[in-house]
Amino acid sequence: MTEDMIICRCEEVTYKELAETANKYNCSARELKLRTRAGMGYCGGRTCRNMVDKLAADLTDERQTQITLKYQPPIRPIHFGDLGGGQS
Amino acid sequence: MTQRIVDHPILGSIEEKEQVSFTFNEKEYYGMNGEPIAAALLANGVRTLRHHEEKATPRGIYCNIGHCFECRVTVDGKQGVRSCLTPLQEGMVIESGGTLPTPVKDWSAKNE
Amino acid sequence: MNNVIIIGAGPAGMSAAIACAQKGLDVVVIDEYLKAGGRLLGQLYEQPDGSWWNGIEESARLHQQALDLGVQIQLNTPVNNIEHHDGQWTIYTEHETLSTNHLLLATGAAESPIPVPGWTLPGVMSVGAAQVMTNVHRVKPGERGVIIGVNVLSSAIAMELKLAGIDVACMALPKMSQLTDQQAHPKHVLDSLLHVSHMAPSQFVKLGSKLMKNDFMKKLGVTFYPKRGVNMWDIPIQLRKAVIEIYGEKQVEGVTVATIDSNGEIVAGTEENVEADFVCIAGGLYPLAELAALTGCPFYLIEELGGYIPLHNERMETPLDGLYVAGNITGIEGAKVAAAQGTTAGLTIAKQAGFEGLDGEIEEAIQVVEETRDQSYIQFHPEVNKGREMVKEKWEEYVLPLRSI
Repeated sequence: MTEDMIICRCEEVTYKELAETANKYNCSARELKLRTRAGMGYCGGRTCRNMVDKLAADLTDERQTQITLKYQPPIRPIHFGDLGGGQS
Repeated sequence: MTQRIVDHPILGSIEEKEQVSFTFNEKEYYGMNGEPIAAALLANGVRTLRHHEEKATPRGIYCNIGHCFECRVTVDGKQGVRSCLTPLQEGMVIESGGTLPTPVKDWSAKNE
Repeated sequence: MNNVIIIGAGPAGMSAAIACAQKGLDVVVIDEYLKAGGRLLGQLYEQPDGSWWNGIEESARLHQQALDLGVQIQLNTPVNNIEHHDGQWTIYTEHETLSTNHLLLATGAAESPIPVPGWTLPGVMSVGAAQVMTNVHRVKPGERGVIIGVNVLSSAIAMELKLAGIDVACMALPKMSQLTDQQAHPKHVLDSLLHVSHMAPSQFVKLGSKLMKNDFMKKLGVTFYPKRGVNMWDIPIQLRKAVIEIYGEKQVEGVTVATIDSNGEIVAGTEENVEADFVCIAGGLYPLAELAALTGCPFYLIEELGGYIPLHNERMETPLDGLYVAGNITGIEGAKVAAAQGTTAGLTIAKQAGFEGLDGEIEEAIQVVEETRDQSYIQFHPEVNKGREMVKEKWEEYVLPLRSI
């Protein structure tokens, strides 16, 4: 039951998938995200980022001074129509 | 059946607001002008706002303040609108998102 | 170009806007929500003097004061990106692109989830979501709810749900996992609950706060903690029960709880179902730092303040020219502290924008932040002062080499 529990709601990535991937590849949070797509969905990882962080195997000291899962613009989804300054 | 908290011991009674009509998945509902779409739907007993694009699991509001995007709906043809922070207006045509016709490739480790 | 742009119309952003506008600056406040007030909107609790802290009224008051001073408030306006070029900040909103020399990020906090099997079902929401639906929009999140996660925030919101006539079936812990930290550990939860004991009419909790100063007593307290739970505002608080699943076909129908031992381990065969039509998940708050992270501002992970904190000083300046922070983005604290930080930030911005003779006012504002913190009714993180000291040290470390150049 806990195994099938969803961690990333947007991409429906389960606890099992994340735990196994972290274990198999000894992943950093970033690698874990890229391998599973957890945190790469519609919300931009706002909901699951802390959990993906915790499940990552590689908890180095760098974590203290660097946000492990980088934020990239745009931080909110943009409609293509709104991109080039066009009328929405 | 109304889910509205009309009277409140500290906050008092709800302000009278103009009622507006709107449709959600082609069914007509009434809500308060300017309240969030999600609140208007919940007041009508509607919790399910969309189904997951791939796995079709039902979803409703989660964070209710715009962070999680779980409550996104299509409003007057515009997709990906967060119903928790979009004010309701008269005549809005709101549709629920469903599964996409062509699922995206599953890139997860098990398919490598 | 605007003198000042503030992102976030919560207590910090609005207080900053007011302070800037009082000095004569042109201010634009941007927020993606449809009302001004941020998380302050939902707050409702009785203060020690018997008066009620009403977040809606407080928000409306700040909003009106800002409008009266000529502050432009753009609601329903998400910000997608910010960039820094040639000493100028460019802010990309969904509607237009703005620029300024002085940018304040007052983006507040987001809720940390606790994953539970079944938590994607409609009817499961963050505890803050239930608060906003109830107090701000005046729509019941449901008729009968279960709250997963027992902490300061969820205890306060449980009481608010009761006030609105919504039944709270129980508050219980999440099932222990790699992801729940200490939130699934009865002893730790009891410990943190003692910080809200002054809010509790329950004799048990009041007594507990006196008796359980040491670890041994706490362990004993949890061991003897009644398995049926204790009541706070008539809500059973179950420190010896964990929610192991949320069930329902198309939406929430209930939760399955099981008894846990004093270390949080499930006791086999104790599962039972509790009917509910909504479930709140209460994993606490973390600073919403995404916009600050785009700027390249240095960050430090400070658990005492709730997560990654953008480096800043007491005047609310970051090491980046013209970039300021205030409110929960600098650490999770109450709305009154956030407002005091906002006022400080506003005065600092006015000084940087060329107004002279503000040093005294800024010093006073910093004092007010500290006094407000010390008098806080609700403390989200008991070690907040330690966290603030850590930020100060990091700031000193960071600016020292720059000074000697």
